[in-house]
Amino acid sequence: MSRRAKQTGLQAATLKTMTARLSAPVLVLLAITLILFNKIEQQTVERLRVMTMDGLAPVIATAARPFAVVAESLDGVVTLRDLKAENIRLYEENVKLQQWYQTALRLQAENKSLHDLLNLQVDPEMTYISARVIADPGGAFVKSILLPIGSQDGVTKGSAVLSGQGLAGRVTEVGARASRVLLVTDLNSRIPVLVQNTRHKAILAGKNRDLLQLERLPLNSGVEVGARLVTSGDGGLLPADIPVGIVTEVSAEGVFVRPLAPLDQLLYVQVVNAQLDPALATGIISSDPSLHRMRGR
Amino acid sequence: MIAFNGGDGEWDDGETSSRWTAVKRFLLVLAMVLAAFLLSVVPVRLGAFDDVRPPFLLMVVYYWAIYRPSLIPPVLAFALGLLADLIAVLPLGLSALLLVSAQWVVRGQRRFLLGQAFLVIWAVYALVAAAAGLAQWLLFCLFHVALVPIMPVVVGTTLSVLLFPLVVLPLSLINKALAESAAKK
Repeated sequence: MSRRAKQTGLQAATLKTMTARLSAPVLVLLAITLILFNKIEQQTVERLRVMTMDGLAPVIATAARPFAVVAESLDGVVTLRDLKAENIRLYEENVKLQQWYQTALRLQAENKSLHDLLNLQVDPEMTYISARVIADPGGAFVKSILLPIGSQDGVTKGSAVLSGQGLAGRVTEVGARASRVLLVTDLNSRIPVLVQNTRHKAILAGKNRDLLQLERLPLNSGVEVGARLVTSGDGGLLPADIPVGIVTEVSAEGVFVRPLAPLDQLLYVQVVNAQLDPALATGIISSDPSLHRMRGR
Repeated sequence: MIAFNGGDGEWDDGETSSRWTAVKRFLLVLAMVLAAFLLSVVPVRLGAFDDVRPPFLLMVVYYWAIYRPSLIPPVLAFALGLLADLIAVLPLGLSALLLVSAQWVVRGQRRFLLGQAFLVIWAVYALVAAAAGLAQWLLFCLFHVALVPIMPVVVGTTLSVLLFPLVVLPLSLINKALAESAAKK
């Protein structure tokens, strides 16, 4: 081995070590700059997020498959164990539901005839798009889920997302074939709601905890434990009358609400595609008269 | 062509092998980080731990920072962190900052760590994970000017410390395979 070659090698190695030693501090600085940039330029970062989400959605959806199968079969094992108890419970529930079904039919007929009497335009029909949850990446910090459907499938930003039992969240980012749902428990989630019995309006705020907190509630509202909350439709972002949660605690610290949707075990959700009047959200009145029907109820 | 095979050992992993070509190595790293990344985003519905996510990427970065630093260079750790931030709606750069810093610190202590027993490696991981979790929580609270519960972070970190041997097992097999193929040359 010639001396010169060894020297070149040595130099190359020193250079490599130098760049490697330098790169970590430089990257740390870059990361801090990016965090600050994120604080200022939220929209640019959001666009980046949508692009990443769209690009990675197929990979994540494929990877999520086996986990979903395992989760579903585990559910199956549990049910097998309590099959008899489950059967009895379902039987009783069925009897109860049949009574409700009769009541619902009667109320529906009554409602229709009253609407006809008043010549009232009811809320536009809602359509649903069902989707499997492919990722819930936020963990401890951000409560969000990813769905493998996007603008191609008719998802729009701001759409309500339901689980079987109630409101799960709201679509906040839409890509071509994937979208992100901010769950109601997230720190940044604010849902305009009303207390179903008293019709008091309030804002339901997520706190990154299991329970939500009711804010901006009138002082004399007299909300009690067990009260049901539904979306008020204020602001035009969410359709009205979607069940959201049940008041579980009224104390000096505030009014706390348990969401109806089982947010920690969502496997499938429905995205609501309500044709809401965009003027309700934007304040810009379009010239299309079909969008300006009187909103009923 | 003379392969340089000396120096301070920091960048020399004893693998100047021709069998493990750059492509193979690249694919291996890709598969590994992809698996770690997917594990931290895919919904794993196994009961009590739905809400917490052990930092799998941190485990992978930590392990290779000790045993084979050239496998995951700082730039890759940085890029992975950015990707994780974008998918998880964390402040862009937060995970990147933590991964690169953790890697930086661990590399600095590499000489001490290399000869240690697994228990020591494990204990140091617990320290690193706790520090990273705490820093992540603090920075997140600062960024959003809000106090979020720290409990899920504590549970997630604890879980990741418990899972560490399981995650390290496939990594150590890869490490062995890499070393053997380099030795066979």
